Amino acid sequence: MVDLTQYLPILLFLGVAVGLSALFVFLPMGVSRLTGAHNPDAEKLSEYECGFPAFEEPRDRFDVRFYLIAILFIVFDLEAAFLFPWAVSLDLTGWPGWITMMTFLVELLIGLAYVWKKGALDWE
Amino acid sequence: MIHTLAFYLFAVLVIASGAMVVLARNPVHSVLWLILAFFNAAGLMVLVGAEFIAMLLVIVYVGAVAVLFLFVVMMLNIDFAELRAGFIRNAPLGAVIALILLAELVLGVGAYRVGIIELGTPDGSAAPLLGESNIENIGALLYGRYLFLFEMAGIILLVAMIGAIVLTHRESRAHRAHQNIGKQVARRPDDATEMKRPEVGQGVEL
Amino acid sequence: MTEFFQSLGMNYEWAWFVATIAGILLIALPLMLGVAMIIYMDRKVWAAINLRRGPNVVGPFGLLQSFADGLKVFLQETIIPSAANKGLFIIAPILTFTVALLAWAVIPFGPEAVLADINVGLLYIFAVSSLGVYGVVISGWASNSKYPFFSAMRASAQMISYEVSIGFIMVCVVLWAGSFNLNEIVLAQKGHGLGFVNGYFFNILLFPIFVMFFISALAETQRVPFDLTEAESELVAGYQTEYSSMSFALFWLGEYANILLMCALMSILFFGGWLPPVDWEPLYVVPGIVWLLGKIVFFFFMFSWVMATVPRYRYDQLMRLGWKVFLPLSLFFVFAVSGWLMLTRFAA
Repeated sequence: MVDLTQYLPILLFLGVAVGLSALFVFLPMGVSRLTGAHNPDAEKLSEYECGFPAFEEPRDRFDVRFYLIAILFIVFDLEAAFLFPWAVSLDLTGWPGWITMMTFLVELLIGLAYVWKKGALDWE
Repeated sequence: MIHTLAFYLFAVLVIASGAMVVLARNPVHSVLWLILAFFNAAGLMVLVGAEFIAMLLVIVYVGAVAVLFLFVVMMLNIDFAELRAGFIRNAPLGAVIALILLAELVLGVGAYRVGIIELGTPDGSAAPLLGESNIENIGALLYGRYLFLFEMAGIILLVAMIGAIVLTHRESRAHRAHQNIGKQVARRPDDATEMKRPEVGQGVEL
Repeated sequence: MTEFFQSLGMNYEWAWFVATIAGILLIALPLMLGVAMIIYMDRKVWAAINLRRGPNVVGPFGLLQSFADGLKVFLQETIIPSAANKGLFIIAPILTFTVALLAWAVIPFGPEAVLADINVGLLYIFAVSSLGVYGVVISGWASNSKYPFFSAMRASAQMISYEVSIGFIMVCVVLWAGSFNLNEIVLAQKGHGLGFVNGYFFNILLFPIFVMFFISALAETQRVPFDLTEAESELVAGYQTEYSSMSFALFWLGEYANILLMCALMSILFFGGWLPPVDWEPLYVVPGIVWLLGKIVFFFFMFSWVMATVPRYRYDQLMRLGWKVFLPLSLFFVFAVSGWLMLTRFAA
């Protein structure tokens, strides 16, 4: 059975970590107001560009390749997710389990070969 | 006590962030709320003892699927006003789907309560424990009893991969400068340069 | 530690709570201190390789340099660009640093010295490190500025590309150790090589995997030669361009905490974690945490060394290495390692 008392420290750790990082972000804001370093003006608050006003919206459309990478990542991440339980249960499943997984890997290797052949992994 | 407290914390957060997914004005915010919902769902999974499923929820949904969602909504530069306009028109359809899902949930839980279908009990007595931890049990069942279903999952992933390529990949332009690293590394000074000693007044043939 | 607080007259629940909070602070605070010192070490190593002196003014041998930098940054003004998405702009550094700290909850510093000894420790680290991409993406998007946005897209594609092979590499180690619990993985390495070397690196099948893991770790933490996200000649300072003051420093702290985490993972997965290098009784007198920290510092030195000597990759080369070299290669090793184990260990 799962020992839940081992997970409680993680929850507490999450709380402490969020608290610490929030402190690091908000405390300097307060301190800079006290010391007088906080002195914003329009130029300072404009977005960074090399000395001239930005020409266009920064959030532009992007190359479709990035989506493709994300989709392929999902597929291979799922594959890894299937490998995890397999890796620790090999002693229980034996050869049938091994052969099953190898077939699965070959199926995905066919996919990888197809992606490769189509040139979807090429960046210029 | 802490168990109950944690349950209500996660449950409230799941529902609240689920509501925010629908209500947020900016699609990027919606996706981020969705991520929070996934995360809390993982917390709930830990509470029922399904630690492997909880980790998978974070790895696959938060770490991979939500990244794709985020890519799409961030990079497509969607027109928010246009999206909003479609909301009223599609609301009845959405309501119908929601009702169907609700009915299914009620049916499922009802059936489970009545005990007609053998779904297993929360104490794990329906499925015999094969290994020590639940990750080993999942492995032993998945690669033992449900081996063909697993292979089907593999085929579905393959189809997904090919589908993604067919839908998004445009054929490359005619000429593309490819780098062949092996060729570059194998190149020696002798292949690239030539030593010539021309006589004075005589040129060199290239 | 719970017993100690119980002896002070608390009931069990309170003693446990106080002990856990103390444990958390015992990990988080030295980690931050360690990050400050490791930045100093980083700069000293580059300086030594470049035949420079490095920081040597603040404190003896410049040891207090990072603290001086920290104080300076702390007193600076926090600039939130007017075009930025304010809430997310502030959340991004918090998220980055939280995630960087959170993964340390399951790292075993000794046989008993582990905060959360969960069954799926390695998966937990994999899950938490896959969250790292959000700090980058959110900061890039919330800045609403060109360079951070480009950098965030590049960085996220890079991180997810290498996460794939890291997943497969972890599978190989888990196959051999037979568990996801980090302490069990460490113990499985006892006397692994020729009966006396503690560590999986001493294994013909696993050593190449270690090399792949090392390079993937460089890419995952965006260190040189894979620091395309901060390629200053192209992208100013990457996704941190619009940040200032402590929010900017949090990205740095998070980055270095992640690097330390990767070093710790390398020690735990391949070099026996808190075990001494060789299985020899007198060496066990030295506490495990010393061995682990020694290994972490050693790997961090390797990171610095790489940074000082290797030129930056191009993006197409980076993607090629991740998808066309490491992915097939790590899959092959999953096949090879599991096949070998089937033939030898699970033969019956």
